[in-house]
Amino acid sequence: MDFLTYLPQLFTSGITIGAIYALVALGFVTISRASQIINFAQGEFVMLGGVTTFFLLKEVSLPYPLAALIAISMVILIGFVMHVLVVYPLRKASILILLMATLGASIFLSSTSGLVFGTLPKALPPFSSEQPLHFWGISILPQSVWVLLSTFILLIFLYLLSHRTLLGKAMEASSTDPLGADLLGISRNLMVFLAFGVSAGVGAFAGILITPIFFTSYSSGTLLGLKGFVGAVLGGWGKSSGAILGGFVLGIVESLSLAFIPSGYKDAVAFIILLLILYFRPKGILGSPFIDSRRW
Amino acid sequence: MVDKTKKEFRKRDLFYLVPLWLLSLIAPDPYLYHKKEFKKKDLFYLGAIGLAPLIWSDPHFNHLMVLAGIYAILALGLSLFMGYAGQISLGHAAFFGIGAYTTAILTTRYALPTFVVFWASAVSAAAMAYLIGRPILKLKGYFLALATLGFGEIFLVIVRESTHLTGGVIGIFGIPWFSIMGFSFDTYLKQYYLVWGVLIGLFVFSKNLVRSKIGRALLAVAASEDAASSVGINVPRIKLEIFVLGAAYAGMAGSLFACVMSIANPEAFSLGLTVLIVMMVILGGMGNLYGPVAGAILLSWLMDILSKYQEYSLPIYGVILILLLLFFPDGIGARLNVRVIYLIGYWAKKKKRDRGKL
Repeated sequence: MDFLTYLPQLFTSGITIGAIYALVALGFVTISRASQIINFAQGEFVMLGGVTTFFLLKEVSLPYPLAALIAISMVILIGFVMHVLVVYPLRKASILILLMATLGASIFLSSTSGLVFGTLPKALPPFSSEQPLHFWGISILPQSVWVLLSTFILLIFLYLLSHRTLLGKAMEASSTDPLGADLLGISRNLMVFLAFGVSAGVGAFAGILITPIFFTSYSSGTLLGLKGFVGAVLGGWGKSSGAILGGFVLGIVESLSLAFIPSGYKDAVAFIILLLILYFRPKGILGSPFIDSRRW
Repeated sequence: MVDKTKKEFRKRDLFYLVPLWLLSLIAPDPYLYHKKEFKKKDLFYLGAIGLAPLIWSDPHFNHLMVLAGIYAILALGLSLFMGYAGQISLGHAAFFGIGAYTTAILTTRYALPTFVVFWASAVSAAAMAYLIGRPILKLKGYFLALATLGFGEIFLVIVRESTHLTGGVIGIFGIPWFSIMGFSFDTYLKQYYLVWGVLIGLFVFSKNLVRSKIGRALLAVAASEDAASSVGINVPRIKLEIFVLGAAYAGMAGSLFACVMSIANPEAFSLGLTVLIVMMVILGGMGNLYGPVAGAILLSWLMDILSKYQEYSLPIYGVILILLLLFFPDGIGARLNVRVIYLIGYWAKKKKRDRGKL
């Protein structure tokens, strides 16, 4: 019964990577709720977060928290710049044009990062010790605990931001009822601008969390972004709670699939899930405000 | 007033009249447009395609144009699906890859003649498109784009992992040249005529298709699916048909690609290729068959120039992509036609029109 012994192990690592997918999915949903745009460069924000922190830590030798903070603010700035230069001028273009423009931005960001920070895969040191903790025969990396804890804190922070502050409430209003928000004098363009900042920040945060566990190279952002999107569709497109749930489910399923199929096929699992969910239940697990079963 | 227009011939007029006349051959003249089926423009293009490799007999140029022709076949198929039927597909590179791998496996393992394998590639890509298209095509917009993208990624993973069949990341080497009845297309010049011959054949086919009942139905589907189904068009079926046709084009292009490059490896069929083809269709202008061909030539040429800058090529490519989308969101042709070429074409034919010839 070797098989059953490492299932719990796979489960815990699935939850860890699921937390990352959940954050990426949350970034997708934040932008798409504000503006009906799918930002394909979301995965690049994650990559940039990890790579920039590595650069600040190793080359500039700043202390860890400061490096992380500066990296997150830089990526938020990149998110803002991307909105101003790419998405805002194209806000009235068709879906296809926007999609291609964000893909172009994604190509630019990933290749520029390869140029500036080097193409070698990078790994940050873990936040605390590297000794795995043991519970009932399962060994857990301390970094996994850090990932879950930080994700939890970030989610609470985002919840408070969107439900307890005036700006957050304005963003919430603009995404729930764009016309009503317009009538109340909330600038929708400003809200989309802020949504890009928030999603870039969340992405960079996820990148910093993941880099100590998995190697991050300049090209790893695209796949991570796509999987985050699959998570968002899986949980229910357009719902923050759906994105978080979908991310975790995707991470766990993907990790558990390692017990049944060769590890090389792991990347295909997410996309097979995407095809299945789009075919059988396009609304996702929790249902989606944007998709009713008739139209999609 | 009359005297002013009837000036005597001056030699310096040739400086602008000759380029203007040449441009007027390319530029669509709105007054002439509906009158003739086979236009002077087409003859000009045909002559240009036939003569270009003889005038620039540079092997590099020929090779570039071979690649451009292959991409043009690919973009032509995608243009039928995106430009006419109004759908989005980001998985076209996978069909290209299926065609290439079918050719690679059948020629290297079973030593079948390339002419047979060419059709087998088209059929296998079309069959795959039929299988995947039936469930996927009921989706719309972003979700269709994502589903096709997912299909492309699954294809890449399978190709990388099933090493015994596809050779994994290394790929398959030593694919023979394309040959018909003993005549082998072994130089760039011969390949040029092969690829562009196939392209012209498919182009004429597409042009007839677009003007047929199916083409009209496609335009109706692109405008509104509900309205199309209410006038008796079987919307899912016609979308599936055009998807399968586009995939068959891609399969043929893939087969030619494998024969020309004599190698098939997964890196050639990644997301980057999909972005490139979709850009060709967008830049050429949606709903226009000349567009994808022009876009293919333009972008292949651009990629060739960019490859000189080595590691800077991808960032520059990304920036150019965004700039092109910002300034020409509905195709380079569309804006240039309206602003510049239209004006010049009008100007050059003004005299003729004034005399009442047209």
